[in-house]
Amino acid sequence: MAALIKKALINPVLRNNGIHRLQFVRLAGYWNKDWKPGPYPKTDAERIAAAKKYGLLPQDYEPYPDDGLGYGDYPKLPLVSADMKDPLYNWDYPEMKRNFGEPMHTQYDAYTEERLSNARTRYSAKHMWGTFLGIMSGFLALHLLCEYNDWYLRHPWTPPQYPNQGKTHYTYEPVD
Amino acid sequence: MGSVSAKALEGGSDYKHDPLEGFPNGRKPREIKTTLEEMESAKIPLDKRDYCVDYLMKFLECRNEKYPWVYKCHHEKHEYLHCQYEDYLIRMKDFERNRRLDERAAKREQH
Repeated sequence: MAALIKKALINPVLRNNGIHRLQFVRLAGYWNKDWKPGPYPKTDAERIAAAKKYGLLPQDYEPYPDDGLGYGDYPKLPLVSADMKDPLYNWDYPEMKRNFGEPMHTQYDAYTEERLSNARTRYSAKHMWGTFLGIMSGFLALHLLCEYNDWYLRHPWTPPQYPNQGKTHYTYEPVD
Repeated sequence: MGSVSAKALEGGSDYKHDPLEGFPNGRKPREIKTTLEEMESAKIPLDKRDYCVDYLMKFLECRNEKYPWVYKCHHEKHEYLHCQYEDYLIRMKDFERNRRLDERAAKREQH
């Protein structure tokens, strides 16, 4: 019995620890500084090493320009937003539409499914702005015309009545 | 003095036709119980010194008494707002009555 309890208590812990230990071995680092990109590659050997580090072919590898705003040796990848990716493909992480070890765009976090998209739109931006401003200015014109021309449909009523001004105002109740 | 009250003081809310026409025994006049001194003492704004000022005074009195538990004055507030609605109805009827009497007068001139 004691052996059974011991196994039930300790085995899950050991199993979980085993997985965590395995992950530490599999991943390239375990802290943010370990994920930082290296310096900008200057020689061909450095470029090939960087391409291999990010899992790319050397001819596909192209870092961001080293103009002070770059990302070191991090590759410049084509930007494909998550909603452009095939939802029926057998992704390793279907909720992120992403495969294991796949190099990610630097702006990946902004182009998830619920955020930005760089898909082409049905209408051009000029067309959409024109539609929006046309409808809104139409409503505004209607409002201004009604506001300053007294076109409102409303219950007509007499001006406010005030007591103590030497005038008698009446209710609609007859005196018995 | 606000523009609203200044406009009201100019008049213009008088009846164009005889207000008692069609009421053989006469109509009950609109009255308030609050005196001018009381309104001045309570600092009621000029445009609020209308025929609902009695209810407004009650509401303010209740607020003064129950503060900060002003939600206990919801009954007084509702009565005040209902009085304003009744005032609106009377003035709407006044306008309609005036319009119809105008029409009748125009017809009589034609014949």
